[in-house]
Amino acid sequence: MLNMYSGGVLGLITSSGPMAKTVMGILLIFSIMSWTIILAKLIQFSRTEREGEGFIQAVKENGSFKKLIAAYRESPDNPFYKLILSSYKEIASKQKDNNPRLEPETLPLVENAMKITISEESERLERRLSFLATTANTAPFIGLFGTVWGIMDSFREIGVRGSTSLAVVAPGISEALIATAMGLATAIPAVLAYNYFSGRHRRILSKMENASMYLLNILEK
Amino acid sequence: MREETWFKWLIISTILHFCLIGALSIPVKKFSRKIDLSSSYSVSLVGDMGGSHGAPPGPAGISEGKNLPAKEPPKPAPAKVKKPAPTRVKPVPVKQEKEVVSLSKKKTPPVKETKKTKETPTKDELDALNRRLREIKKRTDYLDVTSKRQTGSPGKTGAGVGTGSGSGGLPGIGEGSGKPIDLVTQKYWMDVREKIMGAWGFPGAAFKKLEALVTIKIRKDGRIVDINIDKGSDNKVYDESILRALRAVDPLPPIPSSLNLDSIELPFRFVPEGTT
Repeated sequence: MLNMYSGGVLGLITSSGPMAKTVMGILLIFSIMSWTIILAKLIQFSRTEREGEGFIQAVKENGSFKKLIAAYRESPDNPFYKLILSSYKEIASKQKDNNPRLEPETLPLVENAMKITISEESERLERRLSFLATTANTAPFIGLFGTVWGIMDSFREIGVRGSTSLAVVAPGISEALIATAMGLATAIPAVLAYNYFSGRHRRILSKMENASMYLLNILEK
Repeated sequence: MREETWFKWLIISTILHFCLIGALSIPVKKFSRKIDLSSSYSVSLVGDMGGSHGAPPGPAGISEGKNLPAKEPPKPAPAKVKKPAPTRVKPVPVKQEKEVVSLSKKKTPPVKETKKTKETPTKDELDALNRRLREIKKRTDYLDVTSKRQTGSPGKTGAGVGTGSGSGGLPGIGEGSGKPIDLVTQKYWMDVREKIMGAWGFPGAAFKKLEALVTIKIRKDGRIVDINIDKGSDNKVYDESILRALRAVDPLPPIPSSLNLDSIELPFRFVPEGTT
C-alpha cells in the first residue's frame, strides 16, 4: 500500500485530498509548460546569438550588400538575414530605373524598415517568455492556496476529533506543505529562466541594432 | 519556432517531470525506516515511580519474548500480579476475519509458551495465577476502539452514561467462553474504551487497512502498568499514536471495588475511523 509514510513524494500526493491533488495537477502542468518553454527558448536563443555573431563577423569582413545576401540565402529563418532582406526590399522599391546610386532620402526609410524588423524579431524571441513570468509569479500562490486549504482541513479535523495530538495534525500539515514545495519548485526555475532569457534577449537586441548600423554604414558607402 | 519543435520539447519536458517524480519517490520508499512491530512487546509505564528502583524486575511484561525492543527500563511489577508466561492465552479475535489477509504473513509468533518462569511458584503467585485465569476466561475478544469520535465529549462520558454508539460493543458475550462477562466488568471495559477513544486520534482516510491488537493491564487504582501490543499494525506512526494515547489517558478510572481485583487486563482492537 502506498501511504504517505512509505511512498515518498508520490505517496504524499496520492494520500492527499482532492483539493491538494487539483492544486498539484495545476502546478504540474505549469511546470511542464514552463520547462518546455525553457528548453525550446534555450535552443532558440543560443542559435540566434550564434547566428548574430557570425553575421556581424561577415559584415565586418566583406563590405558588400549583395555578397551578404548570397551568403545568407540558405537560412531564411535567421533574424539577421531578415534584416538585410527588409532593407533590400525597401531599397528595391525606392530605387527607380536601376539607378545604382542610393537616394539620400532612402536611408531613413531603410532605417525604419530595419527597426520594424528588429522589433518583430524581438517580439518573436520574447513570445511565451511571459508565460515564464506568469508561472514565476503565480505558482507560489497556487501552492500557498493548496497549503492554506490543507491546513484549514487539518484544523477542521482537530475540531471534529477534539484532539490536538500531533498524530492528528501532522499528516494534514505535511500534505499541505507539499503544495507550497511544489509551487516553489515550479516557480524557482521559471524565475531563473525568465531573468536569464531577459538578459539574453537584451544582448541579442543590441546585436541586431549593431548589425543594422553596420548595414547602414555599408549602404552609405 | 515551428509547432513540431514545441511539441518535441513538450514531450521531453513531460518525460523529465515524470522521471523526476519517479526518482523522488522510489528511493524514499526503499530506504524509509521501517520497524517491525508485528512481534509482541511491552512498554512499561511505571518504571520510574518513586522508591521502586530497588525492587527486582518482575518476570511479567517485558521479559516475555526475546526479540522485544524494550523501550523503557524494566518495570518493577506490582508485587502480586505475577504473570506466568504459559497462562497467556491469546484469544482469536472474531472481527479480524475481514482484515486478516494483509497481515497474515506477519502473524504474531506464539511467544508465550516458550518461556517458563524458573522459580517454583509460591502460594502468592498461584493465587495470582488463578486470578489471571479467571480474568482470561472473562475475556473473549478484543474490544474495538476506533479513532472516530463518539457523540458527546469523551471526558464527560467517562462516567459511563450512554456510551458506545455504533461501532464496537462487547464482543462475544455469552458465546465462545462458557462464562459471560459480568456487567460491572463490561461497564468498566466500555468506560476505559471511551476514555481511550477520547484521547486517540488518527486520520483514517488513507489508512483503511490498519489494525492493532493491544492488551492493557490496569492496576487497581487505575494506573496502566503494562501495554502489550499483541499484534502491531506494521505502521510505526500508527502504533506510536496508540501508545501515546494510552500514555495520555494513563490514570484510568480505578477498577470497581465490587470486582475485587488487583489488576485487570483489557484487550482492545485499534482500527481507524470508518473501518468497523
